[in-house]
Amino acid sequence: MVAPLVEFRSVVKRFDDFVAVEDVNFTIDAGEFVAIMGPSGCGKTTTLRMLAGLEAPSEGNILMDGRVMNDVPAHERDTPLVWQSLALFPFLTARENVEFGLQMRGVGAAECRRRALEWLDRMEISEFAERDIASLSGGQKQRVALARSLVIEPRILLLDEPLSALDANLVIRMQSVLTKLQRELGITFVYVTHSQSEAFAMADRVVIMSRGHISQIGSPKDIYRAPANRFVAEFVGRNNIISGAVTKTAAKTVTIEGSLGSFTVQTGQHDAPRKGDVARFVVAADLAQISVKKPNSGNVIPCSLISEEFIGSVVTLFLEAEDGSELKVQLQERELSKMNLKSATTIYLSWADEHGHYIGVD
Amino acid sequence: MTDSDPSRSTAPAVKTFSLFKQTFRLPIVLWQSLFFIGPLCFMVAMSFFIVRNYRMQEDFVMKNWAKMLGRDYFWDSYFLTWGLAGIGTIVTMTVAFPAAYTLAFKVSESVRRWAIFMLIIPFFTSYLVRIFSWYVILAESGVINAGLSYLGLGPFVMLNTKFGTVVGYMTLTLPLVIILQTFALSNIDRSLVEAAFNLGCRPFRTIYRVILPMARTGLIIAAVFCFILSFGDFVSPYYLGGSKPPTLPILIVDTVKSGQQWPRAAVVAVVMMVTLFVVAFAGIMAAYRRRVG
Amino acid sequence: MTDNRTLRWFLFAYLALVFVFIFAPIFFSVVFSFNSDRFPTIPLGSFTLKWYQTVWNDPDVWEAARTSLTVSLSTATIATALGFATAYTDYRYSFRLKPIYLGLVLLPPTIPLIIMALAMLAWFAKLGISGQVMSIIIAHSVLTAPFAMAIIRLRLSQMDPSLEAAAWNLGANEWSAMRRVIVPFCRPAIISSFCLTAAVSFDEFAISWFVSGLNKTIPVIILEIVTGNIDPQVNAIGSFVFLVSMTLVIIAQVVLMTRRKKEN
Repeated sequence: MVAPLVEFRSVVKRFDDFVAVEDVNFTIDAGEFVAIMGPSGCGKTTTLRMLAGLEAPSEGNILMDGRVMNDVPAHERDTPLVWQSLALFPFLTARENVEFGLQMRGVGAAECRRRALEWLDRMEISEFAERDIASLSGGQKQRVALARSLVIEPRILLLDEPLSALDANLVIRMQSVLTKLQRELGITFVYVTHSQSEAFAMADRVVIMSRGHISQIGSPKDIYRAPANRFVAEFVGRNNIISGAVTKTAAKTVTIEGSLGSFTVQTGQHDAPRKGDVARFVVAADLAQISVKKPNSGNVIPCSLISEEFIGSVVTLFLEAEDGSELKVQLQERELSKMNLKSATTIYLSWADEHGHYIGVD
Repeated sequence: MTDSDPSRSTAPAVKTFSLFKQTFRLPIVLWQSLFFIGPLCFMVAMSFFIVRNYRMQEDFVMKNWAKMLGRDYFWDSYFLTWGLAGIGTIVTMTVAFPAAYTLAFKVSESVRRWAIFMLIIPFFTSYLVRIFSWYVILAESGVINAGLSYLGLGPFVMLNTKFGTVVGYMTLTLPLVIILQTFALSNIDRSLVEAAFNLGCRPFRTIYRVILPMARTGLIIAAVFCFILSFGDFVSPYYLGGSKPPTLPILIVDTVKSGQQWPRAAVVAVVMMVTLFVVAFAGIMAAYRRRVG
Repeated sequence: MTDNRTLRWFLFAYLALVFVFIFAPIFFSVVFSFNSDRFPTIPLGSFTLKWYQTVWNDPDVWEAARTSLTVSLSTATIATALGFATAYTDYRYSFRLKPIYLGLVLLPPTIPLIIMALAMLAWFAKLGISGQVMSIIIAHSVLTAPFAMAIIRLRLSQMDPSLEAAAWNLGANEWSAMRRVIVPFCRPAIISSFCLTAAVSFDEFAISWFVSGLNKTIPVIILEIVTGNIDPQVNAIGSFVFLVSMTLVIIAQVVLMTRRKKEN
């Protein structure tokens, strides 16, 4: 088995009294596209900066290729970063910017120039090679920043919310550029973002962070389908979180009773709770069903319709249950048009047993 | 605090002693200590030295202080300097204000920048030559009097008078004061001025009811700078003011140039420094004071 | 704002008058430097270059000009270097005694020149270096370093905070990053500081007068002439002085303005 390229072992980072990152453990394999995602302040950028050597961990170790990197200064690591502000040198042309990393590594002038131009060509901006940075557009600058980092042929590329300053249409285009690049080059990308859609669209694996801790690590699909805890369930996707007290426990299931009713779910990987604990489970909005007639199967909640949200072919319905809590259902627009919801006073939300996903106790 | 606060990254990896850091941090400390703090401290100490047989010797006596502070001519000079600098400040601040007002409110951004560009030039160039030029302009047969004689006026005596000194002070401080006042005035919230108009306040009243109070901090700072510069200047009172009676800076110059009585000069210098420090302190307190109640 | 036209015209006229007051001495000095009359007044005499010729042929003036040149260039170099180091330290590092550190650097311009002159005179005499060109250079650099520091610090605050880290990230150690990124970025501010500190040093008369002894700078020559009689030579020297200082100050400002415009 090949050792992971990057390893974080029990890493903690404190700034005076503030704990930015705590108990961070994860590995990154060579060739992976990993996204570190979370709301602002969650510690994702600090984690990335520690990997680049711009911050030193307060505790714990960061390893690359099995070697502890804690004391290795930033300029000796081969971890080029694509900055949020791009950090292109304004007093250099595009080509000179791209050559910078090569010059630092002692590559000869002619070779620097050749490789820089080669990469500018690859990024389709060779006509701007001799231009000043200030005269380039946002998307062009973005490509220069990428070329500058990749021309030194690193094994790992770090990206700190690189698309956050771009227009929406450019973002989509750059996402496919990045994914394509990563696959072609076969190098590891570590991509920090607060946007779920970016992370899920590009990454092989996602690390979700919240308040300095890792909440869940997994493939986009796994995380989407099986959020590990309440934070992830609320942060990712559209989920209904139903809570209640545990009334019955069995080998692989647990029965939870709350103001919405009593429901049984599989415990899955979680430990069995005790009776009386407050526990939660999740029903994804796109796995829930609605009907105007009360269904016969077990998991049913009667609701009334509050509002609808159209995003193209998918509609999200917002419902209110009898206890006042809000529930969501997502379905295709064409399915919705077949139903006649206008005249119904009560809409029944239901789900199959296997679509209830237990996320544990508080 | 957000994660992406790059200003917090002070150093890559861990290093307790950084040659790099000390190379940039230390030199100025050594330089200023040796050549700025050193001289000033020595000067204060020097005010306690004694002069025997026309040679200065290091000692600790109160004689210089007693002699200086006991003499009438010292206190006359002290109050004269206060008075002249005070009048100079009032006149300069008043003359500057309409100009600063115009630059802050009545012209476009680019005109304002050009004006400040122009004002910075004289502020940094050759005060001495400009004063000499004024000497010639203000002389009894100089340009102004010659011009006025065509109108049948004059001649006016402008040199060797307090008027001359004040003209000199203005030459020194006016550009700076205009720049500082313009800065103070253009940073106030325009919407408050418009609100005042909206409530019926007429333009002139708005100036002293609304604009002056809002620009108070910057204006006081400008006045403090103006006072300190004028108080410490010897060229204007020396060449345009006739140098008699002398102001404190002139006392220092005379004392140094005419003999070895540097300790006496040091006494004058220390008194000046203390005075200016108190004025600066009071000024800053007044500028940043918040109204209570 | 209601715009009163007469008020506007009055204010513009007033502003013009103020500028006339400020630039009049410069204007007249230059005009009279070409005036044949010994005592400058109106009506003017005839156009002449004799005052310039007298000055041109005066070896003392040339000596002083050489001294002034040496002093201002050396001062500018030292002050800009010290100012840069201090500005960078303020930009990058935070440490406990920082307010005192900054105070130490920025205090000199607040002390009246005449007091500094006396203090320097006594101190240099004690150190045994009084009357030497070196002492003037040292004194001037103490005086002008704060200006250099302020100008460069301002420029550093306009820099993308990630720029230095980006250089480290690409393989530059601290010294290389300084050489390849910080200094090039600060270049307009460095040039501006150099010009401005040179101008201030060139015009400085009080400290030079006290401290220079026999190594007179141009302002000291002017002081000596002026203490005597009215001598139109001063106008000629003065015009030259104006030309040099004003050019330096204009360059200092223009360099900063064009760079900023280019980046925006």
